[in-house]
Amino acid sequence: MGWLEFVLTCVVALPLVACLLLAVPAWFGVRFGERVISAMVGVAFGGAAAAALAALAGMLGSGRDSLEVTLGRWVVVGDYTFEWRLLADHLSVPFALFAAVLVGLIGVFSRRYLHRERGFFRFYLLLALFGAGVEIVVLAGALDQVFFGWELVGLTSALLIAFFHERAKPVEHGLRAFITYRVCDVGLLSAIVWLHHRVGSSRFVPDGGPWAGLVAPSDTASVVAVGLLLLWASMGKSAQVPLGGWLPRAMEGPTPSSAIFYGSISVHLGPYLLLRASPILQGSPGVAWAVVGVGALTAAHGSFVGRVQTDIKSLLAYASMTQVGLILVEIGFGLHYVPLIHICGHATIRSLEILRSPSLLHDHHHLEQAVGRQVPRTPFHIERLVPNAFRPWMYRHALERGYFDSLLRLVVHGFMRVMRGVDRIDRWWTGKVVGEPMRIDAGEEQRR
Amino acid sequence: MIRVQPLLAAVVLGSAAHWVARCPDARQARGLASGAVGAALGVLAVVSLVLHGSVDGSEVLLWGRRVQLAGRGWEASAPFVDLLVAALAVGLAPVASHGPRTLAAILRLIALALAFLGMSEPLGLAALWGLQFVVAAGELRRLDEAHGGSAAKPFVRYQAPALGLVVLGTLALLFGFRSLGVTAWLMAIAVREAVIPFHGWLPTLIARAPLGLVIALVAPQPGVYAHLAVFGDMTGGALAHGFAAVGAFTGVLGAALGVVQNDARRAAGWLIVSQTGLIAFGLANESQVGRLGAVLSWQVMALAMSGYTMTIAALEARRGTLSLRVPGGSFARTPRMAVAFLLLGFSSVALPLTLGFVAEDLLVQGSVAEFPHVGFAVILATALNGINVMRCFFVLFSGTERHTGEVDLTRREVWALSLVLGALLLGGVFPRLFVAGGPSPPGTAVHGHPGSPSKVTDR
Repeated sequence: MGWLEFVLTCVVALPLVACLLLAVPAWFGVRFGERVISAMVGVAFGGAAAAALAALAGMLGSGRDSLEVTLGRWVVVGDYTFEWRLLADHLSVPFALFAAVLVGLIGVFSRRYLHRERGFFRFYLLLALFGAGVEIVVLAGALDQVFFGWELVGLTSALLIAFFHERAKPVEHGLRAFITYRVCDVGLLSAIVWLHHRVGSSRFVPDGGPWAGLVAPSDTASVVAVGLLLLWASMGKSAQVPLGGWLPRAMEGPTPSSAIFYGSISVHLGPYLLLRASPILQGSPGVAWAVVGVGALTAAHGSFVGRVQTDIKSLLAYASMTQVGLILVEIGFGLHYVPLIHICGHATIRSLEILRSPSLLHDHHHLEQAVGRQVPRTPFHIERLVPNAFRPWMYRHALERGYFDSLLRLVVHGFMRVMRGVDRIDRWWTGKVVGEPMRIDAGEEQRR
Repeated sequence: MIRVQPLLAAVVLGSAAHWVARCPDARQARGLASGAVGAALGVLAVVSLVLHGSVDGSEVLLWGRRVQLAGRGWEASAPFVDLLVAALAVGLAPVASHGPRTLAAILRLIALALAFLGMSEPLGLAALWGLQFVVAAGELRRLDEAHGGSAAKPFVRYQAPALGLVVLGTLALLFGFRSLGVTAWLMAIAVREAVIPFHGWLPTLIARAPLGLVIALVAPQPGVYAHLAVFGDMTGGALAHGFAAVGAFTGVLGAALGVVQNDARRAAGWLIVSQTGLIAFGLANESQVGRLGAVLSWQVMALAMSGYTMTIAALEARRGTLSLRVPGGSFARTPRMAVAFLLLGFSSVALPLTLGFVAEDLLVQGSVAEFPHVGFAVILATALNGINVMRCFFVLFSGTERHTGEVDLTRREVWALSLVLGALLLGGVFPRLFVAGGPSPPGTAVHGHPGSPSKVTDR
């Protein structure tokens, strides 16, 4: 393994080592102080950022467009092989560097922000695990490995939303986010399996584009199926319409985690996945238009609903949703570097805004003191374009968040009602076989 | 054929059960039982180390019977898995619900499961199947009489006919009626593995019986081993495809029903039903990859669900009945228990970095060629099972600041869970430890298909 391969491996390995160093002693009852915990995470991600920078410099210096590192075969059974492969190219290295820097900065910032917070250790452990998951996703050489990191990101996201676990709402919202992720992950895993079935691999390979991408299946039906499945997976992670209702609710978590997850990195993993899938989008204009449609609808919805929000975090969540929607539109139109630059710019600004959001009133007072009068209200240019007759209807529509939540509630409650009915039938049937009625509540069975 | 390693461990546990039953109090019995499991693990580890490399996979003839000294791949790891299940069933058993005789029954059930792994002929398997039924039904009936419960009835109503089918199937195979024998055995396995519509006993038993006893009975999954041992070569036919379809249906429906339960025990019960359904689906695969995925899922399920269920038992001993209607716990008060619950639950539903991820990956990748549509049921079932685990975690370990005085895991519980979590995480990072059997499909070592390591057939 050359030095370039070594530093690239470090980008993924250092966060994982930090997780291990935090988790294993804690399991056996050894607790570190706040300073040590934050230093471990800071050093790990500082190291990962330095390694990513070194990899970038090395690649630029040697004039290479991409670099692939094979870490070894993980599972080999018959024809099936799961090989660990890291891929550095024009897409993954900026993303990896950017993610490591942001997670490191959030780690440093949170030391004061969460000082003496009861869940201080838990926050840092989840942050390190999240960072490791992100690095795995962005440096993965195949979609199988993307799924590996993708799941870690989803799990840590849900657990951090429910960080303040003594209150019911954060827990409820954490579960909602997790359910959305899990349902959408079905799309990613199905796409992987279908690609293995049709193409024989889910590796990212250079195809003449600016970076390596998936190999599109030869038949149109499979291209469309895989494309739509990947879009479905992206919609969950990136809070696209109609599944995005979890995003404003996710702001219940600690502010630093909201900044890193929903302002900067996690919500952009969907667009990242679609950028890697650009050969699939190119192979099927229908799928590309679906991406444009979902993105445009989300951007309009986010912009529209965001205007009636009365708290800063919800407003920022909808602003994030709008920008990610626009990024999807750019991807759907076949652009490559524009969405990448858009992602980096948006992520930086948005995470800064979310980090500053608890000081909003303070900042506002400063601004008023500086200008010497009340800050003027934002003029309603766009709102004026809407005919008067439509305004009340649209206001109501925005307040109801586009009725998407009601729609989802209908679907989920319908499913739950059906399954409860099946459960009742099952208990009745088992009761018939056993010869006694079955109870429904916890403990009633045990008391029998 | 007879395998030496699991039989040795079975002898250690079986002998210890005799002394455990005679202990004057439950705490002492649990200590003795834990020691016995540790001793059995030690014996198995030493024997495996001594035999490793020198006689790997080889067989000798002893009194006209083939005796395998050391297994390969899943055959080698299966006895360890059973002993880890025993470590959990005993180590986390609350003394209030697990008296000396219950603990002795747990050891006997695990000993019989280990003996199961030491045999491959239908006659021997049928005898062990019957013994397991007698031990489990006897203990459940004794507990019902002592505490006024009714756990034995559902078990006996479902499992007595299954035992009858095993006897019928064995006799049919002995006298050459292969299709009758295969059908009878498969139906018995379906009942034992709680495949829908023969599943009713499992959620009911989990809701009513001491969880250590249930785990000792359910987690080693003798039905899966019987499937591998008796029908290792039966894939690809209409019967196998039917079995696979029923397994996939069980996986999805079990997962969906798990999500709507209001009782932590029943939610765990449906999680097990769903996973056994997925294993049954994988076993009927023609693909080596899919079948190996099923075998790994079997081992992951045994470890992860034992830990998950026994953590529920430990939490219940501290808090009382665990309803899923209202959140009522605090992660901060019992962090290690919460972490163990979450990790074990997610290991069983394919969390990355655990062996469960490898198992699911192999199961899905291997089955999609043969079952392009049904194969996706596995993905859906796993997603729903993940939701079930997360819902239980949030409800049981969050939602209140009130401190009810419950303590975190004790040292014994930590070590028992550490062993299992260590195995699952180590398997996730180095899956080749568990996939060491290589490309040879499960069942070939039993039946000796061409290309299998032993190249010995028993027909």
